[in-house]
Order: sequence, then structure tokens, then C-alpha cells
Amino acid sequence: MALLEIVDLSVQFHTRDGVVHAVDGVSLAVERGRTLGIVGESGSGKSVTALTVMGLTRLPNATVSGRVRFDGVDLLELESDEMRLIRGRRIAMIFQDPMSSLHPLYTVGWQVEEAILAHEDVSRAKARARALEGLREVGIANAAERLASYPHELSGGMRQRVMIAMALVLDPDVLIADEPTTALDVTVQAQILELIRDLQSERGTAVVLITHDLGVVAETADEVAVMYAGRVAERGSMSTILSVPQHPYTWGLLQSIPRLDAPRLERLHPIPGQPPSLIRVPSGCPFHPRCSHAFSRCPREEPALLEAEAGHAVACHLPVSERRRIGQALQSSLRALEPASPR
Amino acid sequence: MASLAPTDAEAVPRRATPGDGAAAQGPTASRAWSALTSSTARYIGRRLLWGVFLLFVVSGLTFLIFYVFPSADPAALRAGRQATPQLIAQIRHSLGLDKPLYDQYWIYMKGLVLHFDLGYSYQNNVSVRSEIFSRLPATISLTAGAFVVWMLAGIPVGIISAIRPRSLLDRLAMGGSLLAISAPVYWLGLILLLLFSSDIGVVHLLPGSGSYVPLTTDPRQWFLSLVMPWLVLAAAFAAFYARMVRGNLIEAMAEDFVRTARAKGLSERRVIVRHGLRAALTPVVTMAGLDLGILLGGAVLTETVFNIPGVGRFAYDSIVNSDFPAIQGTVLFGAFFIIGANIVVDVLYAFIDPRVRY
Amino acid sequence: MKSFSIAVLAVIGLALLAAGCGGQSSTVGTTVRSAQGVSTTPPSEPTSCTTKGGTITVLSAGDVDHIDPGAAYYSFTYEITRPTQRGLLGVQPGTTNLVPDLAAAMPTVSADGKTVTVELKHGVRFSPPVNRAVTSADVKYAIERGFSASVANGYAGAYFSVIQGAPTATPRFPEPISGIETPNPYELVFHLTRPEAIFTSALSLPLTAPVPESYAKPFDDQAVSTYGLHQIATGPYMIANNSSGNVNGIGYQPGKLIELVRNPNWDGSTDFRLACANKVLFKEGFQDPTVMAKTILSGSADANGDTPPPAAELQSILANPQQKKELFFTPTGGSRYIALNTRKPPFDKLLVREAVATVLDKNAMRLTRGGIVDGAIATHFIDPSFGDQGFTQAGGYTFNPFPSPNDSGDVAKAKALMTKAGYPGGMYNGPQVSMVADNTPPGSDTAKVVAADLAKIGFNVKQVSVTHATMYTKFCNVPANEPNICPNVGWLPDFHEPQTILDPTFNGKNILPSNNSNWPLLNDPAINTAMDRAEKLLGTSERYQAWGQIDDMVARTASAVPWLWENYPTLFSARVVPALMVDNEGAPDVAMMSVR
Repeated sequence: MALLEIVDLSVQFHTRDGVVHAVDGVSLAVERGRTLGIVGESGSGKSVTALTVMGLTRLPNATVSGRVRFDGVDLLELESDEMRLIRGRRIAMIFQDPMSSLHPLYTVGWQVEEAILAHEDVSRAKARARALEGLREVGIANAAERLASYPHELSGGMRQRVMIAMALVLDPDVLIADEPTTALDVTVQAQILELIRDLQSERGTAVVLITHDLGVVAETADEVAVMYAGRVAERGSMSTILSVPQHPYTWGLLQSIPRLDAPRLERLHPIPGQPPSLIRVPSGCPFHPRCSHAFSRCPREEPALLEAEAGHAVACHLPVSERRRIGQALQSSLRALEPASPR
Repeated sequence: MASLAPTDAEAVPRRATPGDGAAAQGPTASRAWSALTSSTARYIGRRLLWGVFLLFVVSGLTFLIFYVFPSADPAALRAGRQATPQLIAQIRHSLGLDKPLYDQYWIYMKGLVLHFDLGYSYQNNVSVRSEIFSRLPATISLTAGAFVVWMLAGIPVGIISAIRPRSLLDRLAMGGSLLAISAPVYWLGLILLLLFSSDIGVVHLLPGSGSYVPLTTDPRQWFLSLVMPWLVLAAAFAAFYARMVRGNLIEAMAEDFVRTARAKGLSERRVIVRHGLRAALTPVVTMAGLDLGILLGGAVLTETVFNIPGVGRFAYDSIVNSDFPAIQGTVLFGAFFIIGANIVVDVLYAFIDPRVRY
Repeated sequence: MKSFSIAVLAVIGLALLAAGCGGQSSTVGTTVRSAQGVSTTPPSEPTSCTTKGGTITVLSAGDVDHIDPGAAYYSFTYEITRPTQRGLLGVQPGTTNLVPDLAAAMPTVSADGKTVTVELKHGVRFSPPVNRAVTSADVKYAIERGFSASVANGYAGAYFSVIQGAPTATPRFPEPISGIETPNPYELVFHLTRPEAIFTSALSLPLTAPVPESYAKPFDDQAVSTYGLHQIATGPYMIANNSSGNVNGIGYQPGKLIELVRNPNWDGSTDFRLACANKVLFKEGFQDPTVMAKTILSGSADANGDTPPPAAELQSILANPQQKKELFFTPTGGSRYIALNTRKPPFDKLLVREAVATVLDKNAMRLTRGGIVDGAIATHFIDPSFGDQGFTQAGGYTFNPFPSPNDSGDVAKAKALMTKAGYPGGMYNGPQVSMVADNTPPGSDTAKVVAADLAKIGFNVKQVSVTHATMYTKFCNVPANEPNICPNVGWLPDFHEPQTILDPTFNGKNILPSNNSNWPLLNDPAINTAMDRAEKLLGTSERYQAWGQIDDMVARTASAVPWLWENYPTLFSARVVPALMVDNEGAPDVAMMSVR
């Protein structure tokens, strides 16, 4: 059984402007020791899904339905106090901007210690020692001095390492990383991703890596889900999705990546249009207004997420054969995504 | 076990830090110690010098204002109604008023700097310095007490309002605070006197106007006579601080680091207090320091309506009487407290907010 | 701020008055139009103590002008000097008559009027720490020190420079005056350069209270004398001091408190003062007049020292039969007037001044100070309290050189006068006229009424508002800086001689380049001559007749337009037997009051 199973999750926020359908019938699964990448634009519902797993969308104006099974327990059914025991301890989350995500007025050492002391009854000194160990493990040099540093005294990469250390110090079963590299330089990005990968292989932590950048998941994810407008568009193993992608949105994502080896004068291929409003979601298939392959059925009927082949589900009205053909034709572009050689 | 050795190239160059072992102390303590090294000490030194310079400027400006703008002639006031011009001229001479302005200023500053002599009142010839010092305890009693009241009242109200925004409690608190800010101090004082003072009030509850005694004379009377003045002076401040804390805390609770704190599985209470409040209250603390400094110069209206013999009343009386040495003395004292409070607050800020460095 | 309350509540006062409360013609309740004020009968003067002992408390907003009795020149300060200092003459309680105080009998004046002899009482001693008996040398020194810049007495020049040998230039420190002779320790002889009718009356001023020279010299020999902070008393009370005589911080806390305690060396058999209470406290700093009045009514304090109860309080007290018994109105003895600068156009012309005097709405001006309770509408300068000492001689209430219906101003008549003065249509068409006025009510309100009235005859008044003290010392008292109109001036007598009202203020020889009190800058040769003559008249009846006529002459020049003979309200608490100084604006007379 999957370690973390999200079944038909829907989250709605009731605002003055209307009901925001942030997540609409999402089903995902994360296996022990494996990495699930969730890819999508902003507004695709990936962050809200993650926050809901963490129990951080328990707000007066939010309606959550569905199930989030973690190790057999439905997290949505838990009381707040019970959820707190899990949050940060068995499921940990790191966020996009480590500068604003770390408290500016406490040292990083203190913040990591706090994470430990929140869940374990140990002495301050013990917690400190463990925090020190945690910083070392994420590859921070001069870790003992760094304990007394404030977030603003560290570089972006170091701050994210601290976030990771803080998240992993209690050895959680699942690490959710929401856009962990978006705010960092490209060179540092690679280091952070490598760090996550290494830590995962050492500890066997399941990782959910949320990003808008397909290139990021290509290196690290075992399984990937592409989300659009609060729904899953395509889901499958990384190799399958990369070898034969079968959703027009995925094609658009792949095609829009700029290539170093492309002729200079060749124009970029963005996906035309804007991400949809989550209050007034387009009828039928939410992607249809931007889809170059849309036809009459698309606006009328919402496509179900169906298994095209084993372990590969797609929500699209196009016939499978058609999708396979187009997907394969993109293989040449996919070669641009071969993992870069490690430094 | 980590095989990675990240380059330190991206590390921000650090200021003075303690050795490796020392870093294992608590977070703020080690920082506080390191802050006392040369850079902050130099900063304090610079600010102190600047402060002294400012006091000179203030004294010069007061001098100019008094003599340039139309105000009563102190010699004529002293001389009285039918005094002959010769008498007035002699008084001008005795008071040194017939000397050129810069000369008078020089004499005054010499006395001030060398002997801490603030001159003698034109009104009753008592030493201005001794007058101010004899009145300082009253002003300090009033100000310090009001400070405690407004912090104890305003901050919790602001916190509760922020935790439950737009609730009935919040609306009542913010509406009430708007009233408290708008009510003129003098009017509020009169209303309280006419309602609660033991001599002229409807309910004989608290001692009335003019009942202040020093703490050392009669602690009970001292306390009771200050209750209404404290409430009056604190009202507008408490309201202001409640609104400020509310705004700051709401903003702080929306910050990313609060989301992280929650994600760590901390109790909501700890998130609010240790993460939200810690960020929200830093500007409040410094504001409070500044307000305290300003009030120590004398809360004129409160002292007037309750007849508390403080520095504020003295300042007002000296202006009405064109008593220049007293005016200069009270202005300098007020400026001293404000400048001092500013320096203290700025230095304190470096301790409270580690992002601030000099 | 006290005046602010008065102005605001004056409107309420008007409303109450308009409703009418009934009553006789000389008490409150008469219609707004009554020219005369409310009854000014003083309380019956106590002749003995109801209780010997206790404490009396007087409230005030401000402090004394000078704690040194040799410089004191302010009606509030006299509340402290009269119980503590015995001058040669004193005021008989409950009257304006002068009686011997330190003197054994009234002074004798020689036939030519140039020698005044005073015998001193035996048995009067200084308070601790000096303790010894008072001698004539002490009075001599007291007067001499007033001329020095270090003591700076304001009226020494006015009343005592007639003594032979009195300094003409101001010495820095006290210097002897040859014209004051002390043939023996209990006799003083004044040799005057010329007869001065009011000189004997001036001997009632606190400058004549004895000062021990050997004790006081070290204090007086400083640029600004500190004797006041170490003063010695001769009256029944003294300012509480320490064993070396210092009162500062003990009995005198500037701006806060003045505490009078019994003078152990006072012999009651030599004094008309009763001195019933053991202690008298003057609590200062009561800025709000309503709070002060209510505190007195509640019995927590006993009298108002320097601030009248505001008009609204007065109305409510007068409407309450019990409280009414504790409120008394006393004529201040002088008048308030609008001064017109006769040295500059347009008010150098008599007709224009007469037009101003005719157009002013004196009722409206009186309302700015509280209305009918504030006093009577003035038509000349000697006030009703002088009675036969000049008031009736000046024509009493009936003499009114510029009458108007209900004293509310007569625009038509004023315009006629303006037309006669050469302004077509009776409207002024010249350049702007300037006015310097108080910047706080009620003075500022009075000034507004004046400006509005003047606008009716075409004057465009440029108004400058400054503090009261600045108005005087920087503008109105300095002829070079004086505007066309000084609307907030007035004059009170130093003692009940009409000369003290009219001479400093309207005699051309008294125009000074600074600290000038002749605000209209009036220099009428006929009036000057009449005054010079009257100053020498030793006989009272001819003297008062002469000054009465002078009052009429001055009033007719319209160089100053009198509008208020003010009555000062004094409020006592029910716990004391009231006594007030009839000659000093009704100030509480603590030496005559007792606890019930």
C-alpha cells in the first residue's frame, strides 16, 4: 500500500468574489522511499494539495472533501491536536523562499532546535547537538558557527539547506518540498536537488517535489503528476512521461522549455493563453481554451483520468493512438532534458 | 556522511563572530555579546556626540525664538506696572538683557556646560535647575505609571483583536480605541474629575485635582491621586498601541515564517506568541521608548487639569510668564529626554532585531 | 484656559439671563439691559473669631508676582503681604479707609504739606529668626531698597520719588535717602520736595513694611535680590521658614504652594487683624475655574484667590439660596477701556473718536466677560466704589458723554459724527487701522466685538493677537510700537484716591518711551494743568471735586472709551466666616476669616 494516498481530494475556498475551486478531485499516491513530482503552473492547485495534506487548510472559509490516507489513517478525519503530532514529525514541508520562510529574528540553530523540541521531550543541549548534526548532514560548512547565524546572514542556498535540515531533523516519513529551488540560482538549484536526492537515498524518506519546472523533476522524480486547474492532467512514472507524454498540456510544458542547442533565431513556444480562473473554471476540460488539439467534445465533457497503459493515467478526450503519436514525435525535444552531468 | 562540500562562495561575509565553541550558547546571548564590540560602541559614541550637538542647536533655536518673535519683555514684567523706564533699564542690565544676543547666549552656555547652571527664573528668582529637579519626580510618576497602564491595556487588546479579526470583540475594541484617541485629554480629565473626584465629583471615589503628594510623603495618597491622571494620559496611547499591535500582528501572522512554524507542528499558541508576536512587537517596543521620552518632557495638559506640579506645568507657566531661563531649561530637558530616548531605542533595536547592524 | 471656559459659558449665561430669574433691580435677574451690575454689598465684617485655630485654604491658578513684599504689586500677592507685613498704614477691614497699622496714629502733615511725620507703635517685633523690635530705621530701609534695581519696586518712583533725596537714576543696590529722617527709633519724618496730597495714602502700600537692614543687606546686594526667599514678617502670620529664615521649598514652593503659619512674635493687642486660623494654605496651579469653584463649594477649599468662578457657575450659585450666601461681588475700583492712539490719524481727530465712543456696543462687550454679573457699564473712569471720593463728583451713573440706547451703540449718531468729521456717508474711507489684542478669551472676544462695531462705520481693523503680557510690554506700553487701538486695557487704583486712576493714565507728563500707561498718549494742556493743580490739594473735598471734574474732561476727549466698572466675584466655602478686602478687588482677607 502507498505510504501517502490522496483520494479524490477537493478543496474550495469561499471568498467574497466567489468560490475558488483550488483542488478538484485530485488522486495521487506516494510510495515509501520514492519521489513524486507534481508539476504545474501557479494556480494549478499543487501547493494547496500539499498544504491540505499537512492540515494547514483547516480554515473557516475552506471546504475539504475526499481522503488523505497516511500510513492507513485518514488525516482529514483527525482532530487538530492529533494532526499536530504528525505535522512536522512524520510529514514535513519546506517552502519556496527560505528568506521569508525562516523567522528573521531567531538564529537558525534555535529554529531547528524548536522543530525538535516541539515533538520530542529532550533537553535543550541535546536538541542543540542534534541541530548541529542536522546542519552538518545537509552539508553546511562551519556548522557549529552557523548555529548562531541569523537567516539574513546566510546565502540563499544555505538557507534552503537549513530549511531541509529543519524538516528532516526528526526523520519524517514524507518530505514535501514546495518549489524548493525556484528562488535560487541555477547552480545552487542543482546542489539542493542533489542534496534532497542523497538524503532520500540515505534515509528512505518519501519525497513530494512540487515545481513548475519539468526540468527539475526530470532529475529527481520517480513518479510525476502534471496538474492543471486543480486537477491531475497526466500521471505516471517519470520515464514513461518523458518518453511518451500523452497530454496536450504536458506537450506544451515540454515544448516551452528554451533549449541551449536550438538555433538562435528560433522563437520560444509558450503555451498560449492564461491559466484559468479557479472561480470560473472553463467547462468540460479546463485546458480546452488553450489546447491546440481541442475539438467539439472538449468543452462539453470533463475528461476522466483513465489509465492509458499500466501506471500511466491521462485525462484527455484525444484517442490514445493519437496521443502516442504526438508524444513520440516530441522525442527529439525530450533529449534536451537528459540529466546534466553532475559537477 | 554527506559527501557534498558546498562552496562557501555564496556565504555572506560575516561580522565578528565568536569561536566555534562559543556558538553553542543561546541565540541572542552570544549575539548580544558580539554586538558590544567596536562597531556598536562606535555607533553609540557617534550618536551621543550628535545628541550633544543637537542640544546645542535646540538651545540656540530657543534663544532665537524667544528674542526674535514678539513676546513679553521680561524686564518690564519684572518691573511692574508703573515702573519708570530707568528702573526697567536697570533691570535689563541686572538680568544681562542689554548685552548683545550672542553674548547672552555665550554666558548662558558657559554656565550650562561648566556648572550645569540653568540660570534663575525671572519670575521668582529661584534656580531653574532646582525647580526642574524638584518637579521631575511628579512628571516621572505620571509618565511611568501611564506607560505601564497603556502597555498593559493596549497590547493585550491588540493581540486579542488580531487573533479574532472582524469579530464582535475586535470591532468593539477598535471602535472604543477610536473614541479614546479622539477624546481631548483636557476634556477627559475634567469629565473624570466631575464624576469621580472626592471633593467635586458625583461619586466620591478618588482624590481630586491638586491632591498629588510625592511618593516618599504618603505612598497611598500618591497612588490614589495618580489613578485618574494615569487613565487620562494612557487612554489615547493605549488605543493607539492596540490598533498598532493589531495591525502588526495580523500582518505578521500572514508572513511565510508563520506558515513554516505551523508546518513544524507547533501549537497555535506558540506560533502566535513566539513567531507572530515576536515579529509584531519589535516596532512597538521602540515606539514605546520614543513616546516615553517625549512624555518625560512633561505631559502639560494632564498636569494642568489635575494640578500635578510637574515639569510640563512648569514649562507652560514659564511660557505664559515669558520666563526665559525657565523656558530654556524645560525645553532643554525635554530635548534631552527625547534625544536620549531616540538613542536608547536605536541601540536597543540592534539587540532586538539582528538584521539591524551599525 | 480659565477665560476659555468663561467665554464658552457666557453664551449659556446669556440664555439663562434671558429666561429671567426675577429679583430687585440691583441683583441678578434684572434684564440684560440693566446698566448697573449685581449687588456689591460686602459680608459683614467679623469683629471676633468664631473659632481660634484650624486651617484656611485659598486656591489660585497662578503664583504671586513677587514673593518679596518690597516688590509685590498685584492684588493676589496682597493676600499674602497683608497678613504678614505691617506697613505704616493699613486698610480698615471691610472698608476702603486707611487706618494706622505700624503707625501709632495717622501721619501729621505740616501746613506747607512738605513734611510728613509718623509715630510708630511700640511692641511690634520681627518674626524669627530676627525677633527684635521694629524701629523707624527698618521702615526707612524698606522704602530705600524699593528704588534699587535689585528689588525693583514698580510704584516707588510713582509715589515716593517726591521724597527729598530719592534717587532719580536707579541705583543697582539700595542707597540711603536723605529725605527720610529717623530722629528716634519710633519716629519717621519724610521731607518732600513739594506737597503731594496722596503721599500719606501711599504709606499704606507694602513698600512701607519694615525690613531689617543688617539681615537683608546680603540678599539685597545681589543683582536680583533674594530677600523675598528669606523674608521676615511683622504681621500675625509668616511664610513658613527654617531656622535661618529661608522660605524657599518650605513655606514658598513656587507655582505650587504658599504656607502661612503664626508669627510667634506678633502681639495681637497692637493690631486690628484677628488672625483666627492657625495656618493658611495658598494652593496654586488650579487652572480650571469650574474645578476651582466646585472645590470651594464642596468645602475642600475656602476661597478663590485669583480666578473668578466662571459665569455658568455664578448663575447656578446665585440660583441656589444656600450657596448664594457665600458669593460676594466687589467693585474693583477701576475701569476697563478701549484706548485710541491720539498721536496717529485717524484717532487724532476728536470727532472720529467721538464716533467710536458712540458706536461701541458696551453691552455686547460686557457679555464677553460674563454679562451683568461682571459689573456695570462704565461711562467715565472713577468707579462707583469711590462713592463721594470722586465718583459722585464725576457725575455718578448719570454722567454719560456718549449715550446710546441700552448702551448698545448708536450707529446713526456715529455716522453723523463721522460725516461731520469729513467722511462721506459717515463711513471711514482711510487706510487700515491696527489693533493689538489678547489672544485668549475673554480679551480676544472683546476685541472682536470692537472690530465688528468699528466696521459699522467703515473701519477695516487689522488685528494682531498676542499674549496678554506681550500685548502690554511689546506693543501698547511702547508708544513707538503702539497700534491705533488697544482694546484690552484698563486701570485699577493702588488705593482709594482718584489721582491713582487718572494721573498715570491720562497725564501728558506721564507719557514714557517704554512701560507707558498713558495708552491714548493724551497730552491735553488743560487736563495736564488741572491734574497738576489737583495733586497739590490737601483738603479732601476740594481734591475729590477737582478730580471728578478731571474725570469728566478726560471722558469727553473720547481718547479712551470706558465700558466696564468691573465687579469681582469672591466665593467662600460654607465652613468659614467670610471676610474680603473691599479695597483690593474683594480678595479673601485671611487675617480676618475664621473657621466656623
